[in-house]
Order: sequence, then C-alpha cells, then structure tokens
Amino acid sequence: MYFKTRLINTVRVPPDLLGCELDLVIKDLLCESLEGRINKKLGMIVVIINLVEIGEGKILTGDGGIYYETTFDALVYRPQIQELVKGRVVEIVNFGAFVEIGPMDGLVHVSQISDDFISYDEKNGRLVCRESNRAISVGDGLMARIVAVSLNETDPGESKIGLTMRQPALGKFEWIEEDRRRAESD
Amino acid sequence: MKKFTKYEKARIIGARALQISMGAPVLVKTDEMDPIEIALLEFEKGVIPITVRRK
Repeated sequence: MYFKTRLINTVRVPPDLLGCELDLVIKDLLCESLEGRINKKLGMIVVIINLVEIGEGKILTGDGGIYYETTFDALVYRPQIQELVKGRVVEIVNFGAFVEIGPMDGLVHVSQISDDFISYDEKNGRLVCRESNRAISVGDGLMARIVAVSLNETDPGESKIGLTMRQPALGKFEWIEEDRRRAESD
Repeated sequence: MKKFTKYEKARIIGARALQISMGAPVLVKTDEMDPIEIALLEFEKGVIPITVRRK
C-alpha cells in the first residue's frame, strides 16, 4: 500500500551550491539520496512530494558543508502481509513468476500459482497447469496476496516479496472471470 | 553582526574561508584570491550570513 508520510532528515548542502535557491537545492539533494531507497520500517521511498520546513543551518567544525534539518512529505510504498495486490507478470522462470506490483517486484512460486500441478514450458516461457490447461506468461494481469516480505536496506534489488494465488478469487483476471461465470451458471 | 568575541570571530572566519575555498559564492567585490583574506574582508563588511548560537 502507498502511504504519504512526514519525515525528518538532515541534509548536507555542499558550499558550491550555496548560491542557488535553498529549497530547490535541498529538494534535489533529498531526491538523490532517498528516492528508490528502502527502509525496513517505512518501505520504499517512491518520491519526495514537498518540503514542509527547513530548519536553521548548522556549521560543524572541519566541514564547509551546512547541515539543515528538513521536514518533508514523501510517498512511500510499504508491502504488507495479507495485502491484496494487482500486478503484471514481468518474467517467467522455472520456479515461478515475477510480478510487478507498483515500484517493487514480487514472486509467485510455482507451488503458489494454483492447486493444479504446474509445469514450466521453457520454449514459450509459460507456466502451464496440467489439469485445467491454464497458463501464465509475461504480460498477464493478475490478482495476488502478499504472504512474505523481506526488505533489504543496503541493496533494494535484493528485497523479496512472496505472493500467493492459491485462494478463491485470486489468480489471472481471466481465471477469476471464468470461475465467477461458472459459479453463476451452476 | 557586531560584538563577537575573538573566539567567535576566529570560528566564523575559519568556517567562511573553508566554504569559499570549497566553492561558495563570494559576497564582496575583490581581486583577492586567498579565501582567508576574502573571509576577513567579508567579516569587516558584515556580510557573512553566519550567526552564533551561544549556549
């Protein structure tokens, strides 16, 4: 889920940028240092929306930079366990499908795609269900539930989000629609 | 901007000279190249944007 959060951070403004307009400089520095970063508590900082307050600058000994304590609003994406997400398949591998859910990717493991037996069709880059002959491939839209979250602060790319589709009304949009029609006609 | 102790003066000029040496824009018109001299000049004119917080 996305959250708008008010954060406080200290920004070092290097002396060669002192001639420029302070709030623009600080916003740029904040964007550079924080956007795309992951914090275990907050989630991923997607974008810095606006600056709320810039405190008094402080000069420390031995450094020509000026330190400003800045309050700002940021948009953060925090994946939560049990959260329902819509996503799009971006990659199929033999152990599952990577699904883009907002700014991060999640993984639906083969064991979590369906109650069916799933086999990996390497030639076509698909995962196929044996009984129902349903398949997922890159580009498919689907509905899933987050069941595991492990965020990595130092390397955002190493963060892992585990998804499942083995629940009623989860799976590829087409499957959900099919299941709903079948239930109505019964 | 007046009534700094000599210690405060030294700290202000030191900090300002360091800023100038690291590329901060100079606030006085001068041909002087030495950052410390420029900082002294700025201090005498009272244009250094630094205040002292006394505890």
